[in-house]
Amino acid sequence: MAVSLERQNGLLTFIYWIWNELDRTIFTAIKFSFPSRFVSPFGFLGMLTFIMFITLGVTGALLMFYYEPIMTRSWDSVAFINNDVPFGFHIRNLHYHGSNAMVMLAILHMYYQYFSGRYKIRNEVLWVTGVILGTVTILEAFTGYDIIFSERAELAISIAASLTNSIPVAGPMIRELAFGAGFHDFVLRFYAQHVFILPIVMLGLMAVHFPRFLVFDVPMVMAICGAMCLAGGVFPVDLGFKFEPTVPPGITVPEWYLTGLYAFLRTQYVKFLTGVLWPALFIGALLLTPFLDRYKKFSWKDRPWVTAFGITGIAQILVTTYWGFYIPPDTTIPLVERLVIDPINLYLVMILLVPLSFGFTLMMIHLAKDAERKAKLAKANGPKKVSGINLSVKWTNWMLVALLAFQVFLNIAAYNAFLSGMNNVNLWITGVILITFAGFFHLYRYAMAQSKNIPKPPKFPTTKQIETSQESLPQTDVLPKTDVLPKTSGEKP
Amino acid sequence: MSEQEKGPGGMSRRDFLKLMGAAGTSVAFAPFVPWGKFMPNPSSSVLEKVPVILPDGTQANLNTFPVNHAEVITYPETADEVLNEEAFRKWQFIRLPEKFGGGRKDVSSFRAYSMVCLHLWCLWKYWPDEGRMRGECPCHGSMYDVKTGTAYLGPASLQPAPSNTLAQLNFEADSDGFMFISPPTWGVNANGVVGYGRFA
Repeated sequence: MAVSLERQNGLLTFIYWIWNELDRTIFTAIKFSFPSRFVSPFGFLGMLTFIMFITLGVTGALLMFYYEPIMTRSWDSVAFINNDVPFGFHIRNLHYHGSNAMVMLAILHMYYQYFSGRYKIRNEVLWVTGVILGTVTILEAFTGYDIIFSERAELAISIAASLTNSIPVAGPMIRELAFGAGFHDFVLRFYAQHVFILPIVMLGLMAVHFPRFLVFDVPMVMAICGAMCLAGGVFPVDLGFKFEPTVPPGITVPEWYLTGLYAFLRTQYVKFLTGVLWPALFIGALLLTPFLDRYKKFSWKDRPWVTAFGITGIAQILVTTYWGFYIPPDTTIPLVERLVIDPINLYLVMILLVPLSFGFTLMMIHLAKDAERKAKLAKANGPKKVSGINLSVKWTNWMLVALLAFQVFLNIAAYNAFLSGMNNVNLWITGVILITFAGFFHLYRYAMAQSKNIPKPPKFPTTKQIETSQESLPQTDVLPKTDVLPKTSGEKP
Repeated sequence: MSEQEKGPGGMSRRDFLKLMGAAGTSVAFAPFVPWGKFMPNPSSSVLEKVPVILPDGTQANLNTFPVNHAEVITYPETADEVLNEEAFRKWQFIRLPEKFGGGRKDVSSFRAYSMVCLHLWCLWKYWPDEGRMRGECPCHGSMYDVKTGTAYLGPASLQPAPSNTLAQLNFEADSDGFMFISPPTWGVNANGVVGYGRFA
């Protein structure tokens, strides 16, 4: 970090040479900033999504060394990675939880941009490519959990294929062209799409989607990666049961980002409508948002209709996501009755959520504007001091030392856990290490910022100043008397 | 676009050149159109007449195959064992029960339906017990009529045509009663599409 420029050795000269040469490349068009203080992660959720993409690329490439996309062997190869390959458990869990994190971050990123109206500043292209990128991200995650070819994967593949089949006229042909015929083709082709075709599409879209200003916040990136490890440690992903076409599968539900769609499919209504047209309508509405939103202002508070539509969408997603997961636990009811959702029920709730969400939005806007008004009033009445944590240099140093010691301890603990074969504990501690590092880095940059803010030491007092200060000394000794002075001063004249 | 540029057909020279450009582009790419045939897997789409081979390795004979009985056959069979295990190549080869005309000594007493259930692709099978005599899917309980291959109960029956009727194979038999599978046409109006269905 703090390399002195005076001590310029050969390596440093080389690095600076590269840096200067980069002037001629695309990289200088992108402005990276490394925040020197805490900034809200909402502003750079896209960057965090990209970090997840890179993490998934690395872990995915490692999984490719062992994974076999063959109908009869794919599940066994995943089991081999999970149980026998050293660190295979870690890589697989990071890949799985990374995919969840990426989808989640992409969704949060989209909704933050939606409600803050950022697409209005000539960012329509960013918005449209972003929505397509999000859709491809979900397809990418979907193809990923299909190629394990467990029972759940098989059901997911069959739903994907039957939805493609349900497209009028061309459906079966598209299905055969894109996915082939039969499970052997499906596994192999989903694999090709998962590891090459869709990532290439994503990279192409990213080339357009990236804005010129990017924030790389080291602590937040570390914290997100740490959270991924923690999730892998606490909820290690299972293998499911190997798909055997003669064995009836147990009840499975898709990943959380598709249970919303699954709820609609479970109504047993025409597949093309529930599984293709509804999501297409949702994605289409999102794509058109910047062209339909004609409000002049950015804030969600000033765009009631757009906000209400967004809230309605979120409410419907939340409800259907839960509904898709929910299967009545009563095993005395026949399986089909447990699985089928009454369409009248579902669609009534969907319709009911519209006025509820609109009402909720209006209420929130009202409350937020009221709070804003009150805050303005309070500000006008007087300064309101916000209490912050201010650490002295001494305490900052002690905290840094303590965090470093904690990291040493964690490293030993992680190593010990790995030696004892406790993979998930090892992964969990690795997560804590990353989060501790995030804290360490944040404290470090805080200290660096503080060191810049240290007021200049007063000049060495001159003799005159010393004399005056000495003169003032007796005055301070008789402070109680000076306290009474104002009263007596009134009597003097 | 002055009057002089317009030819006898009322088309300007520029428009004519544009048209030529478009035509040239389409002609240039025309040879690549059949390249779309790369995508469907030929191992499941190149079909021929083959004997009906039962799981014990013998050829099915309509004189000896028991009435009201079903076996699993593989079609189209390949030299690759992995591909032969494929659910999409598994068919229920059924001789109908007596009451549905299974006693006739010709191919009309036989049926072969794709075992892939039209609902979620589990493998259903034929149950010859009295009172059942139907195809049943173990997963979500779709029931198939053994005479037609159409689902009449369960989630598969709720699906609109063609996704309520199983893909089927047709047979021929020689003078000794040995049975053969006629080359099928995979299409919803012909033998059907495995995993998708057929218009009954």
